[in-house]
Amino acid sequence: MNVELKNIGKKYEGRESFTLRNIDLEIEEKDFCVILGPSGCGKTTLLRMIAGLNSITEGDLLFGGRRVNKVASKDRDIAMVFQSYALYPHMTVYDNMAFSLSMRKERKKVIHDRVMEAAEVLQITDYLHSKPSDISGGQRQRVALGRAMVRKPSVFLMDEPLSNLDAKLREHMRVELVRLHKQLGTTTIYVTHDQTEAMTMATKIVLMNGGKIQQAGKPDEFYNKPQNIFVAKFIGSPTMNIIEGTMKKGLFISEDDLIKIKPTPDDAELLLAYEGKKVSVGIRPERFESGGKFGDTFECKIDVVEMLGKEKILYARLENGKELIISTPGHYEYISGEDHKFGFDIGAIHFFDTETEERIN
Amino acid sequence: MKLFRKKNDLYLSDKQPLTFWGVIGLALTYLILIGWSIVILWPLGQMVISSFNGNQDQYLILNGGAYDFSFKHFKFLFDETLYLSWVKNTIFIAIASALLTLLFVSFTGFAYSRYRFKGRKSSLMSIMLIQTIPAFAGITAYYTLHTLIANSVPAFSRQMMLILIYSAGGIAGNTFILKGYLDSISTELDDAARIDGCSSMKVYRLIIMPIARPMLAIIALWSFIGPFMDYLLPRVLLTNVESYTLAAGLYTLINNQYDFNQPAFAAGGLLTAVPIVIMFVVLQKQLVSGLSKGSVKG
Repeated sequence: MNVELKNIGKKYEGRESFTLRNIDLEIEEKDFCVILGPSGCGKTTLLRMIAGLNSITEGDLLFGGRRVNKVASKDRDIAMVFQSYALYPHMTVYDNMAFSLSMRKERKKVIHDRVMEAAEVLQITDYLHSKPSDISGGQRQRVALGRAMVRKPSVFLMDEPLSNLDAKLREHMRVELVRLHKQLGTTTIYVTHDQTEAMTMATKIVLMNGGKIQQAGKPDEFYNKPQNIFVAKFIGSPTMNIIEGTMKKGLFISEDDLIKIKPTPDDAELLLAYEGKKVSVGIRPERFESGGKFGDTFECKIDVVEMLGKEKILYARLENGKELIISTPGHYEYISGEDHKFGFDIGAIHFFDTETEERIN
Repeated sequence: MKLFRKKNDLYLSDKQPLTFWGVIGLALTYLILIGWSIVILWPLGQMVISSFNGNQDQYLILNGGAYDFSFKHFKFLFDETLYLSWVKNTIFIAIASALLTLLFVSFTGFAYSRYRFKGRKSSLMSIMLIQTIPAFAGITAYYTLHTLIANSVPAFSRQMMLILIYSAGGIAGNTFILKGYLDSISTELDDAARIDGCSSMKVYRLIIMPIARPMLAIIALWSFIGPFMDYLLPRVLLTNVESYTLAAGLYTLINNQYDFNQPAFAAGGLLTAVPIVIMFVVLQKQLVSGLSKGSVKG
């Protein structure tokens, strides 16, 4: 079932301004849509509105073309996995999973079959009769998923379901969730603040900030064509370097005159309109070129070297103290305190309008 | 052998070793505690001993005297007084007010914990303030209220009025206690239940109530004990000796200097503990807290 949000807005009781406004979004059937954003950006509010736990102040929410603004959560044909799992502590794992079906007065036989089916997919058959307090965090996570699955809903909603797991288990569950999504083919809306989860799992990412959608699209678009400076800085680790400057005679010159870049012919054409105006350049840490055989180079002093194994992160400083983050393969030798020359991979440079923060090229 | 002894000498406590003044302080603490428990236990012990002493007559004689084990006073209690009907009255009032309190408090506690409405804070404060006025202060109002209701519903007895006073009086304090407990239960459980298809009533009945059971058990226990302890209200409100509760009834055994019977009073006091102990044993399983462990997070 596809989910459509048309001009959705939310204002909480007793608040001055809208928490969310003018949210337009279309989630296709079988999409794995990840709503991403820093804390307080309204992503959980948006999910709770889709779930029917919060009311919708303005706009329309459509499920498969049907307006569901005023439909109670239980009649929306959705299932939700909560951040804290929200398992009923006084019921066994089996009863937890069977609860929603028994509330719908399904026959015992149907309930049993559905629970067993879900339990087998999630490999939790061994402790169906334990209480939630007797099983581990990862197992509880599976039970919470199972509870959502037995309903066979047309939309899955997940509110940071992996944030309470340790790093290893989270990695494992990430793959498992993607596999499960492929197997079931249910439209999934997933809220997280973790860009890794978003990049690895999503078929569609929606990045939000300050109650607005900043960009919506496929994961690689986010990395390679960020729409504005916020998106550029939010996605990718380490963070993209942003250098402010102006365009002068087709050349980008940084504010401190230390960096000069000649854009590619394609970019130069788009940048014509910005001659003499303020422009910001974004470059990902791994797109610096060492050795200086690429024309425009700059000199910097390496401050700190972080060894991560497969790569080295260099925290370098320009003459005036401005910091740049550079990532190089792990086997390259760098010593802190050294002076080095670096160049740019010209094809991988992002140009932004400093004033509007929007992308130019 | 030597190794074994050495192990025994290991200092395993997490606290710092006691200094000289520390030892004296500890000794003093124990002295106070022991003295305190004697003050509490000695009268209780005397009551138990005297109630079984056949040599006691009208007065309790605590120093010396011959001891003769007998059930004489209990026999007197059951044969010569209205003790059994007092027990029946008290248990009826206690159970009724416990059930009513649970019902009321379930609604108010859940509402205050889960819903945001206008006047929530101020009404919560005002019921807390009303709580500071002793229940007895409203005695004239109770009389009037009873007369008014009894005029239209003749079956409304003085005992029922008492039940109403006890259960209504318990609402304020217990609402606070239950609200505090329910606040500690994650609201995500409510959300999950709602998506699973529960109405507000069902959310409480199927999900929240079983989790809050330890607190509900405590509230039930306290409201059950209340009528056993209260003397003043039944004494003033109830006019017929047959409708007395235990506390008021037992007092009739010692308030008339011509036919009073102190050992029988002691025996009656001892038996009063029985229903409360039974109630405690019944609820003991529910009183085990920590049931909500494992519902959320890892």
